[in-house]
Amino acid sequence: MSCCGCCNNGCTAVRDIEKTGTILLVGNPNVGKSALFNRLTGADATVSNYPGTTVDYTEGKILIKNIHYTVIDVPGAYSLEARDRAEEVAVNMLGEHRDATVVIVLDATRLERGLYIALETIERGYRVVVALNMMDMARDRGISTDQKKISDLLGVPVVQTSATGGEGIKQLADMVTQARSSDVNEILARATGGR
Amino acid sequence: MPKRLSEMEFGTTGTVMEIRASSRQINALGIRVGKELRMITKQPIRGPVVVTVREVGVAMGLELASEIIMDVRSE
Repeated sequence: MSCCGCCNNGCTAVRDIEKTGTILLVGNPNVGKSALFNRLTGADATVSNYPGTTVDYTEGKILIKNIHYTVIDVPGAYSLEARDRAEEVAVNMLGEHRDATVVIVLDATRLERGLYIALETIERGYRVVVALNMMDMARDRGISTDQKKISDLLGVPVVQTSATGGEGIKQLADMVTQARSSDVNEILARATGGR
Repeated sequence: MPKRLSEMEFGTTGTVMEIRASSRQINALGIRVGKELRMITKQPIRGPVVVTVREVGVAMGLELASEIIMDVRSE
């Protein structure tokens, strides 16, 4: 039995066999995770209070290729070795969603700094898609990014986005189903050219 | 000449020689040995410092900054 698709919110009888998944938006503070979150989920955002902390996270829904994803806007973090409460929440959320697809959000104008937590996330075995966000601002500042090279080096899909301008949102959503895990040792070998 | 990052003067530039604090945490901010940093803001009353790493601003407390040893370029 499967959902007939004739309704948007009924089908309670078959809800339990719907395919579901979780998407975590992870990245440094102020890289546009929340803006991207709002673009992906529309106005359906609800704010929840994460138990035990004072830091909020936001949760929403998106349907991609017949999979009902819960999208979680994780608080910004520089690394997965938590230094403050917000980072603790980020680390805990990753820990609680081992099967999640992680969208690593990078600020294209400060690419290098975001790669640290990107590699930490990859190191922990998550299936990852990279969103090179703030592309509009990067272009304005004359910063060019080689999307294919980053993708080849990291071994995961990379999508260029501008959450404020709406660029690349559809592509990012489509790419979620193609998220891949990668191996940090192989990334290192590729990055250093086998040196 | 070697100097703590916390002791660098406003507007000076230097190269990171040694990280005495948890280097992983400082690395996550984009600061690694060999990186060039420029001091762009020093706050009074032992307030935080802001340095730029390749045009990206990074703020940190004075205590953390005192554990980063810099080779400061003479002006």
